[in-house]
Amino acid sequence: MAEAIIKIENVHKYFGQVHALDDVSLEIYKGEVVVILGPSGSGKSTLLRCINHLEVYNTGKITVDGIILKSAQNINLVRQEVGMVFQQFNLFPHLTVLDNVTLAQRVVRKRKPEEAEAIALNLLTKVGIEEKSQAYPLQLSGGQQQRVAIARALAMNPKIMLFDEPTSALDPEMIKEVLDVMLALAKEGMTMVVVSHEMGFARAAASRVIFMDEGRIVEQGQPDQLFDAPKEERTKIFLSKVLQI
Amino acid sequence: MVKTATPATGGSELKLIPGNELPTRIDAWWWLVGAVALIIILLMVFKPDPYRNIVFFVRDGLLTTLLLTVISFVFILIVGIIGGLGRIAKNPAIHFVATMYVEIFRGIPLLVQLIWWYFAAPMVIRSFGNLIDFPPLANYQSNAFVLAVVGLVICYGAYVSEIFRAGIESIPRGQIEAARSQGMTYLQAMRYVILPQALRVVMPPVGNEFIMLIKDTSLVSAVAMADLTRRGREYMSAHFNPIETWTMVALLYLVMTLFFTRLISWLEKRRNLEK
Ligand SMILES: Nc1ncnc2c1ncn2[C@@H]1O[C@H](COP(=O)(O)OP(=O)(O)O)[C@@H](O)[C@H]1O
Ligand SMILES: [Mg+2]
Repeated sequence: MAEAIIKIENVHKYFGQVHALDDVSLEIYKGEVVVILGPSGSGKSTLLRCINHLEVYNTGKITVDGIILKSAQNINLVRQEVGMVFQQFNLFPHLTVLDNVTLAQRVVRKRKPEEAEAIALNLLTKVGIEEKSQAYPLQLSGGQQQRVAIARALAMNPKIMLFDEPTSALDPEMIKEVLDVMLALAKEGMTMVVVSHEMGFARAAASRVIFMDEGRIVEQGQPDQLFDAPKEERTKIFLSKVLQI
Repeated sequence: MVKTATPATGGSELKLIPGNELPTRIDAWWWLVGAVALIIILLMVFKPDPYRNIVFFVRDGLLTTLLLTVISFVFILIVGIIGGLGRIAKNPAIHFVATMYVEIFRGIPLLVQLIWWYFAAPMVIRSFGNLIDFPPLANYQSNAFVLAVVGLVICYGAYVSEIFRAGIESIPRGQIEAARSQGMTYLQAMRYVILPQALRVVMPPVGNEFIMLIKDTSLVSAVAMADLTRRGREYMSAHFNPIETWTMVALLYLVMTLFFTRLISWLEKRRNLEK
């Protein structure tokens, strides 16, 4: 295979005494959809946040699209290439949906307002929410907000999309509309790293599933293999708990 | 009897919902502004000696008070934003300077600060000018208005810095993370995402500082500024009528603070409706 677009080598991350990432190494290739699962507190969010440097790792090395994430100047360059979708959506409540999607295009990518708006409307149509472009985020349902958040991230033309439990804060009836957007994105060949316990999505879209526990990658494999025939005891216990629900 | 027996109608029940009643109750307080203004006008019309004479005598002081308040407030907001950002800065040097600033100027009475700026600062500037042999500083001519603005801005800037710090910190972390994750710099994220939200949060307490400032400008009368209070004192010593003079001065301050209090709550209400 070609060179990995994300290369994580022996990364350690501590929060005081907490060893949140314990010698994590992982390579992700262009066009891959990697789903990460694991119990709460196992370091999934921390790993995702280290990839776009929202969290600074202590030792090891992370390379994104050939850029080593260390020096401050590189960070904004990398962040422009890496979109992120959060559990709590984190839309800007004081801006309309349209302005949410155009803001970074204008101030970071320096696009003209008309150009940014055209791109935004195009993406809002794609996530099925163009008629709400003049609404404010708090006027939307959770599922609609999360779709706007995906459009906002896509507007920067990222090469990689990170999703941190994108459907965990949603009412059950809204989960599908968000997963459908993500599925469509995966089909287009977007490189995606998704922290999620949605097995259906993982089976349909993931090229690889990774199980984390206590800051370590315990096991990884193709979705059917990992879900139906896990090798590690910890994976089995975790899956049996998740599947019970 | 009949009235008390009447069961509550849908209409009166609706009024019990706070959101329905509040706006009219806020607006209702405008009558107090009008009442105080009316008292002032009635006194001037029906008892021109001394009330009209007092008002005419102090009106330039009234203007000075308003000018001092508004000009100072513009700079206070600028200092407050910079100070607030400094207080949350990760850079230890910036954080240290901002914290020292806030702690020092909150801890000294405003009157002492104003006196220091008026009497001590010009001497410090002149001797410093002599020391470095720089004539513009050595021959520095003090300007009471400028020094009063400096004193008010530096003291109130410290208070308002703390309000802005709290306002910025009240915005959820996810907001700055969302902005930064799209490649915005720290300053871009502050300018386009955090500060616009923080400004809404700090509007009530900052508005309160504005009202306090109107009243505290009366302290500049101690340092040769002919503001409303000082002009009142001048009128009183010329005419020996403390009751009428200070009642009128008090009413003039009251009508200003009441008016701006209403204006601020009107602005807040309009902002809340926008949401
Ligand atoms: N900002 C932080 N400060 C201190 N501890 C943190 C912080 N973020 C995460 N942690 C700790 O690091 C560990 C991993 O957290 P996280 O990556 O959020 O796990 P997950 O996303 O898998 O639930 C947890 O023990 C958590 O308490
Ligand atoms: Mg998490």
